[in-house]
Amino acid sequence: MALRFVSNNEHLIDYGSLRTLVVDDIPGMRSALKMTLANFGITRTDVASTAQEAIFRLGNGPYDLILADYNLGEARDGQQLLEELRHRGLITLQTVYVMVTAEAMYERVAATAELAPDDYLLKPFNGEVLRNRLEVIFQRKLAFSEAHRRFAEGDLEGAVAACDSLMRNKPRYLVDALRFKGELLNAMGRFEEGEALYRLVIEMRAVPWARLGLARVLHALGRAQEAEAILLDALAAAPEMMAAYDLLAEVRIARKDLVGAQQSLQEGAAISGKTVRRQQQLGELAYENGDLETARTAFQAALDKGRHSIFVSPADYGNLCRVQVEQGNLNGALDTLKKNKDSLQLAPEGQLVTAVIQSMVHSRSGQADLARRALDEAGRLRGEGVHGDGRLMLDLADSCMTQGRNEESDAIIGEVAKNAHDSEALLSKAREIYARCGRAADGEELLKKATADVRKLNNEGVYLAQKGDFDGAVSRLLTAAKEAPYNPRILMNAAWVLLRDADQNGLKEGGLQEAKRLLDEVERLAPGHSRLPGLRSQVREIEARYGISRRPHP
Amino acid sequence: MSLEAKDLYAALMHELKNNLGLLAMAMEQIPRQDSEAHDRPLDDARLLCQQVIERLRQSLLLYKAAERPLPIEIDAYSPHEFVQEMRDEAASLAHGRLQVSAAVDDGVPPIWFFDRNLVDIALTNAIHNSLAYARSRIEIRVGMAEERLCITVSDDSDGYPEHLLHAPGLDTPLGSGGTGLGLRLSQMIAQAHVNRGRTGELRLSNVPGAAFSILLP
Repeated sequence: MALRFVSNNEHLIDYGSLRTLVVDDIPGMRSALKMTLANFGITRTDVASTAQEAIFRLGNGPYDLILADYNLGEARDGQQLLEELRHRGLITLQTVYVMVTAEAMYERVAATAELAPDDYLLKPFNGEVLRNRLEVIFQRKLAFSEAHRRFAEGDLEGAVAACDSLMRNKPRYLVDALRFKGELLNAMGRFEEGEALYRLVIEMRAVPWARLGLARVLHALGRAQEAEAILLDALAAAPEMMAAYDLLAEVRIARKDLVGAQQSLQEGAAISGKTVRRQQQLGELAYENGDLETARTAFQAALDKGRHSIFVSPADYGNLCRVQVEQGNLNGALDTLKKNKDSLQLAPEGQLVTAVIQSMVHSRSGQADLARRALDEAGRLRGEGVHGDGRLMLDLADSCMTQGRNEESDAIIGEVAKNAHDSEALLSKAREIYARCGRAADGEELLKKATADVRKLNNEGVYLAQKGDFDGAVSRLLTAAKEAPYNPRILMNAAWVLLRDADQNGLKEGGLQEAKRLLDEVERLAPGHSRLPGLRSQVREIEARYGISRRPHP
Repeated sequence: MSLEAKDLYAALMHELKNNLGLLAMAMEQIPRQDSEAHDRPLDDARLLCQQVIERLRQSLLLYKAAERPLPIEIDAYSPHEFVQEMRDEAASLAHGRLQVSAAVDDGVPPIWFFDRNLVDIALTNAIHNSLAYARSRIEIRVGMAEERLCITVSDDSDGYPEHLLHAPGLDTPLGSGGTGLGLRLSQMIAQAHVNRGRTGELRLSNVPGAAFSILLP
């Protein structure tokens, strides 16, 4: 972004240098916006008619300013585009993203969304309004440039300090700085400070994002009951607050109220069913609650809404097919595979899903030949190291055992159990499979043995660390992590012990790298796990102490 | 009206509003020629277009408010930036025929909590009135009154008719060129702002010239 300094210490924005992208599905609107921008000197403007086209353009080069319509007429709206661009790292905190909308209803989306755009304009608006808003936004971006830069470098402490300085020196940015600082404290695991901050904002005015933030830190502090009360209160005042339904579901899961959690997501999905993640979670909860029809509708919706979205993975196809099979709709499951053949064949994980579902369908319909062929294909993929989520692997084991391939199924179940030694849902599913095949006793023994190894290594590791024997602890937990490479809890414990070792005894060769690699892996397996921010912030503290910079300074 | 007919009605109003918005943007592209015969009708047409858009915004709001209390979304905004934006918007419609100024009194805090969209609707209504009646100038001023943020649109017109001064808002008779409707709506907007037991308020006065004030707790 090009800036010129003027005498009164404000900055003039050089509009002529701004690379701009207009995203709107209506051609008339695109050209009207482009002309309006040109009127005040923004001439380097590209246009896109869909979210997908916008993502493609951003993949080819950065933009300083994105002006997107909320309603893009396809599966994804302007808010989802914003979330996806941020998620993929295609825009930074310094990129200006302005939502244009015909709906005053969007105001509520913006007020409560976790990722709010820089501003939104209600259609129709006049060119003067747009120019004014852009001026204000660019000045604010400039004020926050230090905080954003620190954040991008992973220096969250520095970003917090930059926010504090803004609060002291630029009171007009007080609320913006508080909002950003709240997110930073949350990401750093400094929840008590976050609580104080959000209570301070609410003292000024109970704005929706502050109530949501407060509920989030209380949940992180294990005060689920208080969090639930705040969320119910906030939702009574603003029923369109989508993020509150999602958080309420998380809080209720923590309180072991799975039916309540499902209900919350269902209410949210009834208002806005477009978010892929919400539908996925609703499907999973409904499935666990035995509400197969809700699960099917939700998994189907996740796939429909998530076409071309990075939030959809082969596991989603598996989830839908599994429900269809359990509902006795075998043709429906085959139909799902057929309709999505192209996406599924793209990646080996998708091929594994196809083979496993085919094996289930064929073994239920008594076509042993076809089932065997599908199992052979799955076995081939597994031999190449292809891996699916726990439920899919259990489906595979189920088919194997039904076809009498006990050795193969025991190996798969042992692997699942190691990687999910603390997941009651998966372990009890495994017991069910054994019971159905008349091998309940075998199953009990195998599961005990598979989980015992990992559990023993884990418990010993944690115990030794607490006694101060870090060499023993590190070796036990790294072995556990090797045994159970898809087990988030084990990986986090291993990272934790490496970090404590470095904290108390100094850096050891490769230790910090290994901890970071483990945390990246957890991020992939269990995105947004509540223990991650705290561990990441320990990494940063240790790096800071030993003067390791995350990125070479230019 | 049946539920479906009501939805269609709202969708239709939205569409009208958006098409008029495109029309307004298209008119902004017509170059001025510094000739009264050309520019005057153009400016009048632009203002009229904006006024119809405003009416449609108001209707949509009333339509929503018929079902339940006026939906309100409070956030923090800079009063300075807000009045500047209102001024620039008014000036672009006045096209130099009227002098439009903005002023911020001492003691106005850097941020205030209000619903920007709603207050915009109320102030735009007042500004359009002033654009129609002012002789030479319009002022948009923000200050503090009784611990509330007070935004005033004033002009050098003949002022409000006597009957409006005594009963602004809900008791105003409708008609009189839509002034009554706009004032009723503005009062609803003011009163939808509630903070710590205090409520917003609409005040009209002639100082001389018309002065429209909205007080936000």
